[in-house]
Amino acid sequence: MDFADVLTWLESTRVATGIRDSLYLFPLIESFHVLGLALVFGTSIVIDLRLLGVASVRRPFTRIRADIMRWSWAAMALAAVTGVLMFVTSASIYFDNVFFRTKMVLLLLAGINVLAFELTAGRRVAGWDRDRAGPRAARTVAVLSLALWVSIIFMGRWIGYTTSEPEAQLDPGIDLEDLFTPPSLDDAEPE
Amino acid sequence: MIEQFAEWLARTSLSLWIQTQYAWVIPTLQSIHIAAIGIVLTSVAAIDLRLLGWAGRDQTLGETRERFGPWMSWALLVLLVTGVLMVIGEPVRELMSFSFRVKMALVAVGAVTAFAFQASLKKDETRWERTLADRPAVRTLAILTLLVWAAIVILGRLIAYDYVWGGLSPLA
Repeated sequence: MDFADVLTWLESTRVATGIRDSLYLFPLIESFHVLGLALVFGTSIVIDLRLLGVASVRRPFTRIRADIMRWSWAAMALAAVTGVLMFVTSASIYFDNVFFRTKMVLLLLAGINVLAFELTAGRRVAGWDRDRAGPRAARTVAVLSLALWVSIIFMGRWIGYTTSEPEAQLDPGIDLEDLFTPPSLDDAEPE
Repeated sequence: MIEQFAEWLARTSLSLWIQTQYAWVIPTLQSIHIAAIGIVLTSVAAIDLRLLGWAGRDQTLGETRERFGPWMSWALLVLLVTGVLMVIGEPVRELMSFSFRVKMALVAVGAVTAFAFQASLKKDETRWERTLADRPAVRTLAILTLLVWAAIVILGRLIAYDYVWGGLSPLA
């Protein structure tokens, strides 16, 4: 059983067919995915801006982290669960998509970035907890984190425009061709 | 009338330009829009959760507002600019969508509530801190505000799928 079979199997699971067969589930799951990722992004920049000395500078770093991380993890769990649910509906299409692949690599890099923080500045956190900004290693991690999360949002949006599945179109009842040439949807097809 | 306006808007030169550049302009605007809503959502949540005493208790309510209020305002401005450009680029899709119309109503409610609350908090911090934050009505409002912003995000994404509303969709 090679990997293509795994993808096909994922698409044939009851969860995948259930979501595909429903008119409402995919849009709903995608909406909650956006809600989750918006909070992941918002909470991580609170941490990043603290490390850079831009905002919350008078609050000890560990205090902010303890305060915000549980919300961040909850948001991440929501984004991950909804992300997996969307993935299984068309696993092969997503897996072949260059933006999806890039997004997964960037997510992995974001994880490694957190690990890098823990192994460097995170180890000596007691020494700089109350400083206006974190040490150089922490500031580097913060800049990378900001760049990675912004890129992840962009990649995610591009997945929607380069896979045919997610953007289900409402039949508008009026002919859009009369108004303007619609966006080059043909170019957006992965095939 | 809205439909005529949307059709007129679709023929303006800015709209036509966005339509020709659709493949990158719209996803770019949407990505910036999502990043900005993340900032608004987190800022509103930080202030509301502090009011409820569920997060950030090492800071006063006033300090929390000072930290997150301006970020909320600036991010709202980014949302407005990118949002208007998206409407200009795809007038019929946006203006003739049930999700969009409900979303705009909720944005008005959410923004007015947030600015009114922050202005009041700025004026009389101690009163908010000592008495108002414990009132059930205020706490309920804080939770409702959070739900309004969550609904705004969800409705924003549902603009792409207006058929989910069936007969409620203006184009149905």
